[in-house]
Amino acid sequence: MSEIKECDLPGIGKKFTLQLDSGDKLVIVIHSSGEREVFKFIKDKDEPSSVTALNDEEARQIGAILSGTYFQPVLEEEQKLTMKNVTMEWIKVVTDSTLANKKIKELNIRKTTGVSITTIIRGETVIPNPSPGEVVKPLDTLIIVGNNEQIKNFISTFEIKQRLENDRQ
Amino acid sequence: MIVNESVLSLGISLLALFCAGFLATKINQSLIAVFIVVGMILQNFFPVTIITEFIATLGVIFMLFMFGLEFSVGGLVQNQRKIFYTGIYDFLFNFPLGMLLGWLLGYDLVKSLLLGGIIYVTSSVIVAKSIIDLKRSANPETEHLLNILIFEDMFIAIFMAFIVGIINYGHIDAKNTFLVMLKTSAYFMFFIILARTSKKFIDRIIDIEHAELFVILILSIIVLSAGAASKIGLSEAIGAFLAGLLLSETKQRHRISEAIKPFQQFSTAIFFVVFGMSIDYKHVASLIPIGIFIFIVSSFSKVYGGYFIGKKYALSKKAGLRLGFSLIPRGEFSIILAGVITMNHALPYPLKSLTGVYVLLSAILGSILMKESDWFIKWFIERKDKQTDRNV
Repeated sequence: MSEIKECDLPGIGKKFTLQLDSGDKLVIVIHSSGEREVFKFIKDKDEPSSVTALNDEEARQIGAILSGTYFQPVLEEEQKLTMKNVTMEWIKVVTDSTLANKKIKELNIRKTTGVSITTIIRGETVIPNPSPGEVVKPLDTLIIVGNNEQIKNFISTFEIKQRLENDRQ
Repeated sequence: MIVNESVLSLGISLLALFCAGFLATKINQSLIAVFIVVGMILQNFFPVTIITEFIATLGVIFMLFMFGLEFSVGGLVQNQRKIFYTGIYDFLFNFPLGMLLGWLLGYDLVKSLLLGGIIYVTSSVIVAKSIIDLKRSANPETEHLLNILIFEDMFIAIFMAFIVGIINYGHIDAKNTFLVMLKTSAYFMFFIILARTSKKFIDRIIDIEHAELFVILILSIIVLSAGAASKIGLSEAIGAFLAGLLLSETKQRHRISEAIKPFQQFSTAIFFVVFGMSIDYKHVASLIPIGIFIFIVSSFSKVYGGYFIGKKYALSKKAGLRLGFSLIPRGEFSIILAGVITMNHALPYPLKSLTGVYVLLSAILGSILMKESDWFIKWFIERKDKQTDRNV
């Protein structure tokens, strides 16, 4: 893990410098306006060799791609093991849902349906790998994983009406 | 009568500002210089009225307020050593030079001090914009550049409080200096204590949802603070600056900035126009050679100062020179400093017209130099390298 240097640029924003193993440097400037700029400095140069400006949305998308949340490369060996019908589902918790205001532990989701909750999206915050003690709140969005049958199971058990598959974009 | 005529002339001024500004942005020139030129032209058509002058005063107040509001006290404390050292070098290279030039021009001490400040202070507005436009925000010299700008602006804010106090007393002597310093520090202390002790209280007071009342409350805070400073013989600008600093720590900071910005943009534009209108053509022609001379000398000191600071902080020669070239544009604060004496009619004209010429030169040529300095830097470094080769 390389060290990230942080530095304030008063009136402009914040600067993050990543020293790469190759000797090159990657500098990311987050402007107060929300714009991001990614600069690449080739080893020992003090002028960037390339600049990419991104708006807030683009930056988040690229961030997701780089961190592997958007698409996870799988090695060939593992690919054989992944079942074709494993799906992720986005579930909105409505106010009067049977899921609302209960701990994940109490809901016994995995035991009864086989589905796992991988992420809870609560307004602006995202809770990846929520602990069993985490309480599901009304209006949360849950990202669940399971095969088709398990998902069906989940939907009927908890009487889910709102699937957000189309909101993923 | 004055009011009716002012409305029309204000409308014409604004339209002229828009047209000129539109063209200026097409060729990437700074608006400050263009607004001053518009003012210089408009003086042939109508005079500065008490109303435009009042708007101009508000322009300075709002500008300083916004500057205080966007000022990062946290950043200042965090980087204080770096800011202090880079700032002091830049100060020593440029401020005394300005005073010396003032002395050579036969100015008295107050005006020499002012010229020192005018020549010393780089335009944060122009430089910050150029950094973004030229995609230099990630360059190694940029953080030092911004640190210098913070030091300069901070220094000028305090310097202005002091110099206006002195001008209000009429002349410098030990007693007046002491009194002014006492008042300035008392006013600063008042705001620092207020910020320290009543942060939550202030947060609660300004947490008003009603959009209109919110704007009115914020305006009242700004103008009251400016007025109070003026009442005790300091500059209005410093009062506004401290009000901005006080509100910069609140949760509403962003909302305040959004609400006040249009007022600031409008009144600051008028401020530059009024400044341009008060530049006397008769003086300008004879001032151009002096202006060019001062521009060359002070650009040299800025570039050398930047190079020196770059060396201190182990930047490459190239980055150091780029730092120096980036410090050339002068703008808003130089004009404000020169404007300090327009409102006080006891002091004569030329310094103001000279500043006008000087700022026009350095704002226009400065932003061009900032962009086009690369070939010079390359040439300079190659030449230097050859020299060292020969010496070896």
